[in-house]
Amino acid sequence: MVTEQTMVGMADIQVIDSKGQLVCLGLGSCIGVCIVDPQANVAGMAHIMLPATFPNSVNDKPGKFADSALPTLISLLEKKGAQKSRMKVAYAGGAQVFKFGENSSKLDVGLRNSQAVAEWLQSSGLKVISSDVGGTVGRTVTYSMDSGDFKVRTVQKGESTLCNLKGS
Amino acid sequence: MPSTPRNFGEVQLSAIYEMANIGLGNAMTALSEVTGQPFNMTIPRVEFLPSDQVPLLLGGDEVPTVAVYMPIAGQVEGHIAFLFPWESAKRLWNMLLGQAPESVADIGELEASAMLEIGNMLNSSFLNALADMTQMQMHATPPLVAAEMSYAILSTLATEAALSQSTALAIETRLECSTDEIQGVFVCLPTIESIEKMLSALGLAEAA
Repeated sequence: MVTEQTMVGMADIQVIDSKGQLVCLGLGSCIGVCIVDPQANVAGMAHIMLPATFPNSVNDKPGKFADSALPTLISLLEKKGAQKSRMKVAYAGGAQVFKFGENSSKLDVGLRNSQAVAEWLQSSGLKVISSDVGGTVGRTVTYSMDSGDFKVRTVQKGESTLCNLKGS
Repeated sequence: MPSTPRNFGEVQLSAIYEMANIGLGNAMTALSEVTGQPFNMTIPRVEFLPSDQVPLLLGGDEVPTVAVYMPIAGQVEGHIAFLFPWESAKRLWNMLLGQAPESVADIGELEASAMLEIGNMLNSSFLNALADMTQMQMHATPPLVAAEMSYAILSTLATEAALSQSTALAIETRLECSTDEIQGVFVCLPTIESIEKMLSALGLAEAA
């Protein structure tokens, strides 16, 4: 049986219920955040590019920035019957893939994204189950509704399960 | 036709195409000299894309790709990068070093610095041609190299471009070496302001 995959492109937010998979392909400095309410059987994923909305500009793409993507994702889940108190979170990405070269440490969007996501989640009080951020590797993340597994795939190490968001 | 922000007209678009053509021609000459192999290039697409669509250029794939990236500073600002699919990158390393890493994990100092050199050379010859044409000052900053999933590389570039809050110009270039089948893609992400400045310098600023 072919599992239906919902691709979450850059600056995108997707929510699914009942069956299927959510996928963020090739995360570099971006972060894929997955939030699940196992009881309501809904899951959502955001593909965040930047830490915060630019001052003095219209934010026409809430999925692009951590400070707008996370509240938007949560309200989309709530519309499908999810409750904050039951939500579980996993996220991955925020790498610096340009690891060779003397100025490589200056590219720090990945790091700033990770910090922004971590801080926002902490102040929201949501339950973060696991995260896999930083380093120099690109990651593809997948969440399966059926199993509840949140998986991370890399070029060098292949795929492994980071955590399960369904169990108690 | 793709939509063009701020309505760049046909004349402006073909000027941008010409600038890219000359800049990349220069870069190919440099590459041929250093490898001793003839390189050709074609420019299938010059497109204005919202930066979050840049990854689509390579089909949004997970194939390992080697990228040499350089931020541009000066009167013209932006980002340029050459991307080589893994097999092409290996052939390039073979030409330069007589050996190539087996996998992404095997890239050592030697391979990394060879690729940084290639990037330096390609990007500076591209920029020199542009600077000569427009008489504007632009300089490359030290190159960076990544060997990763193509989407992870392109999305990182798109994010860097998005940081400057501009819609990007993506110039897709295919370069080929007749003897060894090396393919590459060039992506150029200048800020819209920079493009306007360059067009003004060429006397092609848009009528108000």
